[in-house]
Parts: sequence; C-alpha cells; structure tokens
Amino acid sequence: MEIFVQVLASGLTLGAMYAVSTIGLALVYGALNMLNMAQGALLAFGGYVCFYVMQQLGLPAPVGVLAAMVVGAALGLTIYLMVARPMLASPAFETQIFIATIGIGSVLQSVILQLFGPQPKAQPMTLPGGVSLGGVVVPWQNILILAVAAAMLAGVAWLLGRTRAGLAIRATAQSREAAQLMGIRIGRVYAQVLALSGALAALSGIMVSSLSGLLPTMGADPMLKAFVICVVAGLGNVPGAAIAALLLGILEAVIQYIFGVQYAFAILLALVIGVLIWRPYGLFGKRQVVRL
Amino acid sequence: MRESGDLLVCKGVTKQFGSLVAVKDLGFTARRGEILGIGGPNGAGKTTLFDVLSGLNPATRGEVWLDGQNITRAAPEAICHAGIARTFQLNACFDSLTVRENVEVGAIFGRAAHGLPGLNPSAEARAATDEALALVGLSDKANHVAGDLPVLDRKLLMLAGAVATRPKLLLMDEPVGGLTHAETDLMMDAVRRIKAQGVTIILIEHVMRFLVALSDRVMILHHGERIYEGPPKGLVEDRAVVDVYLGEGASARLAAMLQGAVP
Repeated sequence: MEIFVQVLASGLTLGAMYAVSTIGLALVYGALNMLNMAQGALLAFGGYVCFYVMQQLGLPAPVGVLAAMVVGAALGLTIYLMVARPMLASPAFETQIFIATIGIGSVLQSVILQLFGPQPKAQPMTLPGGVSLGGVVVPWQNILILAVAAAMLAGVAWLLGRTRAGLAIRATAQSREAAQLMGIRIGRVYAQVLALSGALAALSGIMVSSLSGLLPTMGADPMLKAFVICVVAGLGNVPGAAIAALLLGILEAVIQYIFGVQYAFAILLALVIGVLIWRPYGLFGKRQVVRL
Repeated sequence: MRESGDLLVCKGVTKQFGSLVAVKDLGFTARRGEILGIGGPNGAGKTTLFDVLSGLNPATRGEVWLDGQNITRAAPEAICHAGIARTFQLNACFDSLTVRENVEVGAIFGRAAHGLPGLNPSAEARAATDEALALVGLSDKANHVAGDLPVLDRKLLMLAGAVATRPKLLLMDEPVGGLTHAETDLMMDAVRRIKAQGVTIILIEHVMRFLVALSDRVMILHHGERIYEGPPKGLVEDRAVVDVYLGEGASARLAAMLQGAVP
C-alpha cells in the first residue's frame, strides 16, 4: 500500500508536470503548425524570473509567478511578431520556424547564463512540509503541482471550448483561409496563442524548477519529454496531450520503481518508437488531423 | 462618385501566375440585389476570379470596388468585414466544430466591430446564428459535429456561415456540384430566400438548370476572358457559348428547358 501510494504520487506529479509543459507546445502546433523549439528556454526563463522577483526583490510568491507569466507572454508575443509573422506566408514555414526557434532558444539560454551565471540555484517558490497519506508523506509541493496542472488544463479547456477567443483559435487551427474569409483576424489569433503558450511555459518552468532547481539548461529535458508526449498523442492534439502526459508520468514512475531510474527514459522512447510504427499519427491522432 | 445601382465594380482585373494569365483584363459589375451567374469551361478562371474578389489571391492589375470602397489589395478578413462572403466548391467547414459553432464564427467575427475578444457570443450574434441556421434549414442539427454531416448539409452549413457574416455580396462557388436533382432544388430555394433578404449574389455553376433558373444575368468566361454577358435566354443563341462551353446537345436541351418543355 505504501509503495503504491508512493509510486502513484510520484507518477502523478511527473505526469502533471509533463502536462503543464506539453500544453503550450501542443497549442502552438495545433494552431500554427509551428514546432516551438524555444519552449525549453522559455520554461527556464520563467523559472528565473520568478526566482529574481522573490529572491532579489523580496516580493511574495504570487507576484513572482505573475511576473514570470507576464514575461513569458511577452516573449511569446515577441517571437510571433519578430520571427513567426514574417515567415507565415512562406511554403516552407514549418521547417523555417523550427530552425529559427532553435536559434531563439539558444539566445534566451545565453541571456540567462549572462544574467544569472552557470551555478544551480534553488527555486524559492516552494511549499514546505507534507501531508501523510496511507502512511506516506506526500510533500505539499507535489500536491501544489498537481493542483496547478489541473487548474491549468481546466482553464485551457474552458478557453478553447467556451469563449469567443477559443472559437477563433479552433476555427483558425482547422483552416486558415476559411477562418480569414469569415472575418477572423488570424494575426491576432496567432499572437494570442503564442502569448498564452509563453505564459504557460513560464508557469511550468516554475513548477519544474521547484523540484529540480534552476539551471540555464533546465528546459531541455522537460521539452524533450513534451515532444515525446505530443508525438504519442498526435501532434497538436491538446486534450490527447494532457491524457498522454499523465499516463506517461505514471508509467515512468512504475518503470523507475521496478527497473530503476536509468531505464525510464529508454523504455519511454522505445514505447514512442512502437507508437510511431503502429499509429503513425499518434494514439489519439487521425490521418486528417482534427486539432484543438 | 459611384453609381448607386452597382454594388461591385471590377475594372481591368488581371490575375497572372508567371506566364499564365488566368483572368485577363476583366471588367464587370454586379448590381444591387441581382444574381449574376458565371459559367465557363474548366480552367476559365472562375474560381481564380473569386480568389481575387475575396482577397485570398489579389489581382495582378486592375481594381475591385465594393460599394464605393477600393478593396483590390485588402486582406481577406478586411474584405469580409467590408461585406463579401464566400462559399467553396469543396467542403470548407470547420469539421471538429459543431454546426452552431461553425455559424457562430461568421456571426461573431464576420462583422468589423466585434471589439475586444469577449467571452460569450453577444445576443446579436446568437440571433444572427439562429436566423442563418433557420434560413438553410439546419436548426434541428445545430449540435451535430460538422464533420459528420452529409454533403448537402455541409454545403448548406457553409452557406449559413457565410450568411451569418451579414454580407452585401455573396460569392458561391459551385453550390450544387455533386448534388442530386432534389437536393439541387433545396439549394435553389435557400438561394432564393437569401436573395429575398436583399443580398447580391454571384454564383459559379456548371449545372445549367440551376444557373439559368436563378440568374438575372449570366457571364460566360473562357481562358480568363468574357465571351458572353447577358440574359440567360441568350446563351443558346450565342455561337461562341455553344461552341466552347455548352456543345450542341446540351444547348438543345437547355433551349427546350428555357421554353418550359422540360421541367
């Protein structure tokens, strides 16, 4: 029982963290066909902004989180205006933006290195203590991560399904031309999506760094996992990505318990290869991709 | 100043793709409240002309004026806000959205002043959605997912979405291509209801029964140029139209139909 609770708690925390980092990626791919390779750097940047606001400026945690999300949104918007928008009309947009965002990612990472140095730092945005469940102490921090992930997924689902902005995003994701012809200002939609994904990346950066600490390169691993999850779910499929994230998190915790930590990522990747062979469009993907 | 009778004025519109001239120096007008039918063989430049008018692929040369406003180089969404809506030959619904949501897109975003991105559709947008759904007869399928609909319903849905933008001018690209005789009649009724609301319509169609029954005037294009413009009745008497487009057999059937011999 204790082991079960332990594995489940750690699996759910992992899954929730993956879900948070994956949603932004899936959203941008779904709406723009854009693989944002700078997502990892955005994640790290958000973690550092929160650290700076709380540690250096001595402001309370909510201010730190809010500041990180605002900076993340601004960075996402900047990527749209300066990089994505000029390339949108090009037939090779998907390749171009893929390479361009790799460049943006390394620039952002260098900026972090310049500002904060290469030494690891502790994320001050943590909850101390824990709660005893079935004889196991589950840290409050893990529960906070779960709660944030749940709130975020619900928020995104509400935005997409229940608001006018969400309707515009879904319509644009289906057909850029038809959306334009029905009067949707697609430039505005794209700007909103990138700003939103930037804010979500910052939030997930805070969550990730609260467990593993701050490093300029800290975004690389969550981003890799996020890509794996996106591919497993079917690229651009937002609800599928959330489910896949939770499943893979629990699976990873189980593998870690049974075989050991070193095998987790290898087995995860083997699984992805299997999925790509048997379901090339992802577990929840269809040939004619119905996104968002 | 503009003549008040003309809603759309095209002057010397040319669309060139490299050395291919798809639309050549075309000048025509659409009068307020009329239905202008466009026919012509495949590759005549009909759909390209719609791409030019709706802003997806602006003209290489020439000017397009809508209601006294020059829209030649405007973006598609701006042209939509200026008052042109369009339906496609092939399915262009938002497949994962419901029927109601599809129409709401047009009702909410189709007019310029939708202001800040609000949370819920305004009462006005909801009313426009209900009205458009009722107009094409899809009210009882409002909650179906668009991707599951049969062909006729998808075509009607595209039409409802376009009407929900409250257009002055509606461009319809082959609305009855692939439909049965009975379905064609249903579409014809829907188009007549839209015309009755004062919307000016330009329609492209190969099904002559549909084109002739609805159009006040017909324009036939061939290789991007106009070879005929006039009343539908004149089609069968025009040598060029019979030779390049209708052929003798179809022309004879059409002539018989025009005289009311064939229902």
